[in-house]
Amino acid sequence: MAAVEIRALHKRFGKVEAVKDLSFDVEAGRVTGFLGPNGAGKSTTLRALLGLVRPTSGTATFGGQRYDELEHPSSQVGAVLEDASFHPGRTGRNHLRVLAAAGEHPVSRVDEVLDAVGLNDAADRRVKGYSMGMRQRLAIAAALLGDPGVLVLDEPTNGLDPPGISWMRGILREQAAQGRAVLVSSHLLAEVAQSVDDVVIIAKGELRGRGTLAEVLGGDDGPATEVRSRDPEKLAHALESRGLRVERDGDVLLVPGATPEQVGEIAAEEQVAVLGLAPRMRSLEAAFFALTEETT
Amino acid sequence: MSALLRAELLKLRTTRTFIALTAAALGLSLLLITLIALLQDDWVEQDVRELFTGDFTGLFILLLGVTGMAGEWRHRTITSTVLAAPNRLRLLAAKTIAYAVAGAVISLLVTLAIMAVGTTILSVRDLPTLGIADLTDGLWRNLVVSAFLGAFGVCIGGLVRSQIAAIVGLLLLTFAIEPTLLAVAPHIGQFGPTSGAPNGVLELEAFGDDTDILSPAVALLVLLGWLGLVFAGAATLLQRRDLV
Ligand SMILES: Nc1ncnc2c1ncn2[C@@H]1O[C@H](COP(=O)(O)OP(=O)(O)OP(=O)(O)O)[C@@H](O)[C@H]1O
Ligand SMILES: [Mg+2]
Repeated sequence: MAAVEIRALHKRFGKVEAVKDLSFDVEAGRVTGFLGPNGAGKSTTLRALLGLVRPTSGTATFGGQRYDELEHPSSQVGAVLEDASFHPGRTGRNHLRVLAAAGEHPVSRVDEVLDAVGLNDAADRRVKGYSMGMRQRLAIAAALLGDPGVLVLDEPTNGLDPPGISWMRGILREQAAQGRAVLVSSHLLAEVAQSVDDVVIIAKGELRGRGTLAEVLGGDDGPATEVRSRDPEKLAHALESRGLRVERDGDVLLVPGATPEQVGEIAAEEQVAVLGLAPRMRSLEAAFFALTEETT
Repeated sequence: MSALLRAELLKLRTTRTFIALTAAALGLSLLLITLIALLQDDWVEQDVRELFTGDFTGLFILLLGVTGMAGEWRHRTITSTVLAAPNRLRLLAAKTIAYAVAGAVISLLVTLAIMAVGTTILSVRDLPTLGIADLTDGLWRNLVVSAFLGAFGVCIGGLVRSQIAAIVGLLLLTFAIEPTLLAVAPHIGQFGPTSGAPNGVLELEAFGDDTDILSPAVALLVLLGWLGLVFAGAATLLQRRDLV
């Protein structure tokens, strides 16, 4: 049983069909990127999952249980929604104390999560004086309060600066490494490409692809990797001798059909120093555009 | 349920609204009571009784309830609140009870303060005062009406959602609609939620005419009826609503 199960989910707002017959799973111990352009239906799907929006038909559950059927929702699921709002006149710490009271979590958790997100110094200031990044940290702290097994985040990097984005990625990886299921939405592929294991891609409310990043966005010839090395000739030779095709572009080799992990390991075996190694982002973006383009 | 109630009471205590409204209610009521007790010369016991029940605290409590609920939309905290308490019926119930408690607490503070100050001034002036039994009787009546108004405000906030619209509507009801009805059609006005029925519980005689005032027991039932009505309406809306 998957941590999150979306089954034939359909949501109509008046005439707008925000989500159409959407199904996918989110597994524990992995970060799942939920990707799609603006207006694709990401927020609607996540809000349906969290019991905030009623599905027109279909279900969105945590291992079969609707959010509002969960025994202790905040101990099972942590959520960070788009532009998280707090009462401006309440301090960050008091906001967490209220949530701890509602979720029956020990007050000591408040200090622990404030620590975890690095908000200790600002905890006793009113939220109206918080920066965007501090609000986002407070939202994460609130989600972590009940030590839940599932995290649902809607565009959590919106409005964050590069260090903030990198901090957020670290949190997501860390949570998944501890065995939690992490579902994170974004309209920017590049922002999540480095931190997700799986992707679910939607556009116009419909599923356009799901699987691992390489499976979904590798294009027809699978994943491709760009590698820069100190000895490109030797590396190219080694790759070709293992049956891989290599395109040369100066120092940079492009290896269609191989993942960065494969290329890295071959380089290590051959003891060639690797200076740069990355999935071919341009093809990722291109595949993403192709998938989310208006086809229907 | 008790966890949600604790959370709502904690919410109340952690913003300035509650303190500010309590201070305003206390200050205004004390000022009023002092002036009347000092300046008015003809006193009978019923005047003293009315002095201790007919103050403005109720209006502040009503506003506290409205901002407590409508404020969830105004500050867009309703999603976080519903995430913490996905059973929206229980959430509304907890909030309603919390503001009934808050109303009673404010009323307790204000009533004890004005009774102490009023009684002191009147006895210094050698005017009639109330015995402890009459004071206690007035106190519980105030508490009942105040608890109702706090709860009623929450449900109105849940029905109307727009804080400004809810406040303007309630001010109109309190200062224009109900007084007009009480004056021109008291047989209808006596059932009103902000003056008519509360007057019945408090045994206040509208315009010195005691023909059109509900008995306390009936008035109490009318208040409960109002509360049931607005609670059911607010609960239905809250449960249907998509929070986007
Ligand atoms: N309350 C609503 N009433 C009417 N239409 C709505 C409502 N909420 C969302 N929609 C519509 O549903 C569609 C999906 O919106 P949604 O917010 O889920 O997209 P999204 O993928 O989260 O987009 P973004 O990346 O911009 O956040 C859009 O066409 C939007 O206009
Ligand atoms: Mg969105």
